[in-house]
Amino acid sequence: MRADVLSALRTGEAGAAGRRWALRWREPALVAALGVYLWFTYYVAHGTLYLQGLVLVAAVFAILAVSLDLVAGMAGLYSLGHAGLFALGAYGTTILYNDHHWNLFALLPASMVGVGLVGLVLGSLSLRVSGLYFAITTFIFTLVVTVLASDLKITGGYGGLIGPVFPGFPAGLHWLGQSLIWCGMLALLVAILISLGLRRSPLYPVLLAIRDAERFAAAAGARTALLKIGLFGVSAAMAGAAGWVFTFQGFISPGQFDWTVSVNILVMVILGGLNTTIGPVLGAAFVSMFPAQVNMNPFWQEVLFGGLFVGVIIVYPGGFVGLLENAGRWLVRSRSPAAPPAAAPSSPAGEPAPVRVAALESAALEGAERTRPPAVTPARSAAAGPPAVECRGVVFAYTRGVPVVNGVDLVVRKGSIHGLIGPNGSGKTTLVDLIAGRLKPLAGTIAVDGRQLERGGPPARARNGFMRTFQAPVLVRELSVGENVGVGLYSRVPRITPRAPVWPVLPGARRDGRRIREQANDALRLVGAERWRSSRIANVPHGIQQLTQLAAACVAGPSTVILDEPLAGLSPTEVEHVAEILGELKGTGMSVILIEHQPRFVFALCDEVTVLDAGEVVATGPAAEVRANARVREVYLGQ
Amino acid sequence: MLQVVLSGLAIGAIYGLVGMGFAIAFYVTRVINFAEGQLLMVGVMIAAAIARGGANPVLAVAGGIAAAGAAGVVTYLVAVKPVLAFDRFSFAWLVSTLGVALILQNVAAIIWGPTSRSFPTLLNGTGVHIGSATLTVQELLTIGVAVAMAAAFELVRKRTLFGKAGMAVAYDPEMASALGVDTGTMAIVAFAGAGIFAGVAGVLIGPITYSNPYLGNTYGIAGFVALMIGGTERPVGAMVGGLILGILEEAAKSLINTQASDWFPFVVVVAILLLMPEGVFSIGGRIRSLAGLRRSAGEAVS
Repeated sequence: MRADVLSALRTGEAGAAGRRWALRWREPALVAALGVYLWFTYYVAHGTLYLQGLVLVAAVFAILAVSLDLVAGMAGLYSLGHAGLFALGAYGTTILYNDHHWNLFALLPASMVGVGLVGLVLGSLSLRVSGLYFAITTFIFTLVVTVLASDLKITGGYGGLIGPVFPGFPAGLHWLGQSLIWCGMLALLVAILISLGLRRSPLYPVLLAIRDAERFAAAAGARTALLKIGLFGVSAAMAGAAGWVFTFQGFISPGQFDWTVSVNILVMVILGGLNTTIGPVLGAAFVSMFPAQVNMNPFWQEVLFGGLFVGVIIVYPGGFVGLLENAGRWLVRSRSPAAPPAAAPSSPAGEPAPVRVAALESAALEGAERTRPPAVTPARSAAAGPPAVECRGVVFAYTRGVPVVNGVDLVVRKGSIHGLIGPNGSGKTTLVDLIAGRLKPLAGTIAVDGRQLERGGPPARARNGFMRTFQAPVLVRELSVGENVGVGLYSRVPRITPRAPVWPVLPGARRDGRRIREQANDALRLVGAERWRSSRIANVPHGIQQLTQLAAACVAGPSTVILDEPLAGLSPTEVEHVAEILGELKGTGMSVILIEHQPRFVFALCDEVTVLDAGEVVATGPAAEVRANARVREVYLGQ
Repeated sequence: MLQVVLSGLAIGAIYGLVGMGFAIAFYVTRVINFAEGQLLMVGVMIAAAIARGGANPVLAVAGGIAAAGAAGVVTYLVAVKPVLAFDRFSFAWLVSTLGVALILQNVAAIIWGPTSRSFPTLLNGTGVHIGSATLTVQELLTIGVAVAMAAAFELVRKRTLFGKAGMAVAYDPEMASALGVDTGTMAIVAFAGAGIFAGVAGVLIGPITYSNPYLGNTYGIAGFVALMIGGTERPVGAMVGGLILGILEEAAKSLINTQASDWFPFVVVVAILLLMPEGVFSIGGRIRSLAGLRRSAGEAVS
């Protein structure tokens, strides 16, 4: 086992070779960027009042843009409620300070917690529906907040309120200049660091999976709705902090928080570059400074402003960052024409590396021992083993009167491969969705490892050591093969969610990150797709996507996996290879439920086979018996 | 009370027309055209300009509506089509349509000045008594035109091949284009329709508001809220949403105070969205599907 781990480490090193240059320069570059940032802050803190006002407002909007990018970029939640949350932070701070004399610095955490809670409530109410309706509900939230701010007495109506004055530096720190600038710029720095931290954490691929491939994320154990609401809460808390900073620039009035501000923040994010952290900051700086910096007829200025919106987005839908990336790529290409391809194969191409199931199993269990007791008990005599999955009288219908699964009994023995076959439309995938928790049965019971689970969703299954793949691969297209496999480890990384925002500074983060990469590599080696590890899913062939799914399902060392047509779209050699892998998996004591169409493959590989037709079980039992069954030959084999 | 309902219907009809403009463009392209309110403004401004040039008011109104439709098509070609060609699922259109809104509004302010100017009146302001309530002829015309346009839209959508092709595009653009529907033309027609609905709303409200380059903001947002109340499943829902919004506004004005018309409708809209996140018309479908599932379970078991 030692040798396995060592070799895993070595291949990890070799794979990083392409990125070593970037790694060596990342830390000095970060330090340099931080230095420039602090110098800029120092410079502005000694600048004219005009410049200070400009930069402070830009910093506040940059915080808002970064906070919106968290939900819009990472989770695909286009919130139009950020102006409302911003207003709550600003009005809350001002009112509690002016009328109730709270401590100014206690008000920062207070407004973050308060607005964060409002965000959680707003999120849990509006996230029941996604996409456009989320945008609409949050939009209405902003309208309500500004209308209330305009009409209530406590908020000073349309006239607004005078904000508190930010205290200056104590005597020893006077050389730093204007304290408020430092306050705003440091708040922005913290926001950027949180955003970067999340992007570097193992939660990031999971969030992208929630955005682009929600079924995959749920099957990996992520409670997607909770994560979305939580992320929105974090984003809201950041907006609350932005409101707190904003109060110090003088006075606040409803017009500063109306719905156009919400839209403007989203414009900043998209114009700068969605899901890039630094893009929203650039977008915020541009949008908030442009009108003040360009001296011309205000109407023509607005026309130019609008023209820039249209122009930038049409030419570079990736925004400023997309534009910079293009320019950078062009520079690199013109400098070094023979640059090595980014996705260099890490192991010699050709035959898949030797399968190391033992390494995979032990690594997965090592990671898992804190979260669950090892549930895998190798059962050699498959037919006699206890049931891994037991369905009794399961009934389901999509529309009334048309049962798709009708009173199905299915028993999958531990440590066996159980084939599920039947003609198209016989209810195989529906049955699998029921077993995997994506659908709830109308009647009947489903037990996994002796636990009744028919009411729990996919995340509960994953936590109980139960994974699955999908018929048509459901993966995150913009992430690499290896990162997609890492999503499968979601339920195995201890306290992944609370650690994510501050991931890079945590002790053990580096170790956990490396362990995730190693386990993902092991799983990819197991399925023989290791050399695709750093290629983006969008660029790999269908067969590799299937193998990626298989690796993501196996990476956490589950006790049971469901494979929904894992051979669809594979070449004959790949089919042989997957058959080999399934044999290996079975050897580790894993139970496998296999939906497949190729009879040759199914009967050769499976210990037991269940045949479905029109939602009912035609035959079930040992493969040879089922194959001999007259009715099976008629409905399925066409003989 | 009757007066509240009728006045509400009159103003709500305007909101509904703008809301349907939003909905028609969204229905086919899945894009919310943030310049929709500005299309209304274009209709108002062009009609006023033609009338000031000495033309027949009817001609001016027709010119205004046509200009709004043309502005809708230009919006699509300039700000929506290139963005969708890149990525049909991105939200980049939000930035580009907003850019168009800024351009239209400020170009109008440059050409005609930022202040209100006269608008041609087609009808005199005589009142018509309906029961205990009084409406102007203009208001009656507004309600009538709005209802007629909503009905005509539904007829085209449901009864003509063209309308059905539009539904196909709305449901699955790739499938529709595989079946030979020209999705590009469909989108252009939808944006032209969106402009025409906004233009009609503009020339109907013009005699009350006069012509002003900032009209787009007020009516754009009201139309957007109408769309939210009605949901996006059927464009005609936005008309109902607009009527509801209008009545709520009038009710708040007369029952609470004038300021309440600012916030009361929104409170109701929040309540609606919390209860029925997909618009008021989603509730029927949900009840049906619940009932259907229950029944199917029963049948399957028995």
